[in-house]
Amino acid sequence: MFFQQLINGITLGSTYALIALGYTMVYGVLKLINFAHGEIYMFGAFVGMIMVTTFRLSIIPAFIISMLLSSLLGMGIEMIAYRPLRKSTRITALISAIGVSIFLQNLGILIMGPATRPFPRSIRSYYVNLGAIKIDILQIIILIVSIILMVALHLLVKNTKVGKAMRATALDKDAAYLMGINVNRIITITFAIGSALGAAAGVLIGLYFNSVSPLMGSMPGLKGFVAAVLGGIGNIPGAMLGGVILGVIETLGAAYISSAYRDAIAFAVLIIILLVKPSGIMGVNVREKV
Amino acid sequence: MQKLRKLVWISLLLMVVLVFTGCGQQGETSKQDEETIKIGTVGPLSGDTATYGVSTKNGVEIAIEEINNSGGINGKKITLIPQDSKGDQAEAANATQKLISQDNVSAIIGAVLSSETLAAAPIANDAGIPMISSSATAPGVPDVGPFIFRNCIADQVQAAQLAEYAVKELNLDKFAVLYTKNDYGEALKDTFVETLKSLDKEPLVVESYVDGDNDFSAQITKIAAQKPQAIYVGGYYTEAAKIAQQAKQKGLEVIFLGGDGFYSPKLLELGGDAVEGVIFTAGFYDKDPDENVQKFVAAYKAKFNEDPDMFAAQAYDAAMILIEAIKKAGTTDPAAIQAELAKTKDFPGITGKTSFTENGDAVKDILILKVENGAFKRIR
Repeated sequence: MFFQQLINGITLGSTYALIALGYTMVYGVLKLINFAHGEIYMFGAFVGMIMVTTFRLSIIPAFIISMLLSSLLGMGIEMIAYRPLRKSTRITALISAIGVSIFLQNLGILIMGPATRPFPRSIRSYYVNLGAIKIDILQIIILIVSIILMVALHLLVKNTKVGKAMRATALDKDAAYLMGINVNRIITITFAIGSALGAAAGVLIGLYFNSVSPLMGSMPGLKGFVAAVLGGIGNIPGAMLGGVILGVIETLGAAYISSAYRDAIAFAVLIIILLVKPSGIMGVNVREKV
Repeated sequence: MQKLRKLVWISLLLMVVLVFTGCGQQGETSKQDEETIKIGTVGPLSGDTATYGVSTKNGVEIAIEEINNSGGINGKKITLIPQDSKGDQAEAANATQKLISQDNVSAIIGAVLSSETLAAAPIANDAGIPMISSSATAPGVPDVGPFIFRNCIADQVQAAQLAEYAVKELNLDKFAVLYTKNDYGEALKDTFVETLKSLDKEPLVVESYVDGDNDFSAQITKIAAQKPQAIYVGGYYTEAAKIAQQAKQKGLEVIFLGGDGFYSPKLLELGGDAVEGVIFTAGFYDKDPDENVQKFVAAYKAKFNEDPDMFAAQAYDAAMILIEAIKKAGTTDPAAIQAELAKTKDFPGITGKTSFTENGDAVKDILILKVENGAFKRIR
């Protein structure tokens, strides 16, 4: 049973990791916690669901369209809600992000209605049997997609010209601008990629839990954020690790302590880790320049 | 760029202005119109429990429309003032306060969730405004005071009847219980477990979850290890559908049992073939051949383009019971309405005959439904 619970935890954790990747991406470049990320995840799930049900597309084109449309949404949010505030304090942008999050949630309720809708399972049910343990093929797909996206993102940031420009922007916006980097373009690209990651998470998780609803982003969004902080916010492999650790802690806590306190256990562990290592597991402790 | 930004700000400003003037107009018309009877509803119209509140409001709307179309109550039309509680206790209390002190309603249908009703009911009772909840099934709701009524089957009654049915009729022996951590789930779990004990049975494992949870794998793995024949889920249909699906994914084959929180077409839509064979208690059955039931179902479908659920049906009946009491009282004086409500006996509604006990609790028939071939079927 312990092994089965561990698998449950890793699966749940890989969903958090998928969401955390988008958070970490935006934070790494902008030092902005994009609280609307959970709603982009919700938007992505809805687009995927509508593509599969109304337009009768198969899951792979639905997945790609959802990522594309969500990047557009992400870029739009950045342009309307964050760009005008870029010169103000960080707290202003954070409040704007919370506003966007609440706005999108309620817009979702207005347009789609408050009820949870099914996400038709357009992948054939298949189980991998490991002795007494059954693993759903979707669980494996979620884990593999998270790892692929993580590696791709890591390579993009470390090995491409755009990635170099992103790192430069992250380090010092003004200096990057002086060096001829189009900072606005880089930030737009960052949001586009971060939002596409959110949409990928939305479609896969919507599919796995067979449900999408306008409020589906709030709790997983928070957990994704916690996962990103746990792993060291701004650090891409850290987001992945943080997500998996959070999922495993939560599941084992629910299994061996009490299922009623699973969230409390998860957040208590977060507090402890932050007390011991404030920069997160894989984060580097950087002193703020004054 | 600068121009564009200005344009965005101006349009935003316009939107805000429009929203506020919209509200102002609404307030004015309701003030002008003194010749109507005002009824308020309190329930979640947004947030993750919104479906229950929206169904409740819709059910009341159908009842009011029906009465207004046939000339109103003693010549007076009824206006409905719906309030959003967001499923939150403080918001429900505020909304109730607003209905009473600002809108001067004669009576309130609500609140919807047990927890929010326990917060809102004392306010209505202290103000002497009759309040009928059509879905707050937790213990203690009618005990708040003489002005508080409810029109739904109590948790204790339905959980006890289902436990007996499962043991005596279905000959089940090994049970697990999985419940949502709120007043509704706790009451169902407590009664189900107590009734099992009175029948010399003991649940093998009792686990809980929180509404809105997506992942139940930890609980299901733990339950599966005890090999039960049936799982009693004390909760609502959204989570119940997910639990059934995840249990199926994990290869756990059991009979799912539940309460009236299961009764919604959404259970079938979300659960698919995983909810086949689910057995639960309910206060309403939309395939009932009764003429009034079919009239209600048709009117609801025509107006809202979906099948009514139990929340809508019980709210419709609550509104009809209230309208009947206002008719008999011949006045909108809340105390007179309360006196008439208390006398309600064998009211023929679409959820069966309803009488109120001395403290305002409903005595109603309890149905047992089963999911068969993707549809609800009455088995008792």
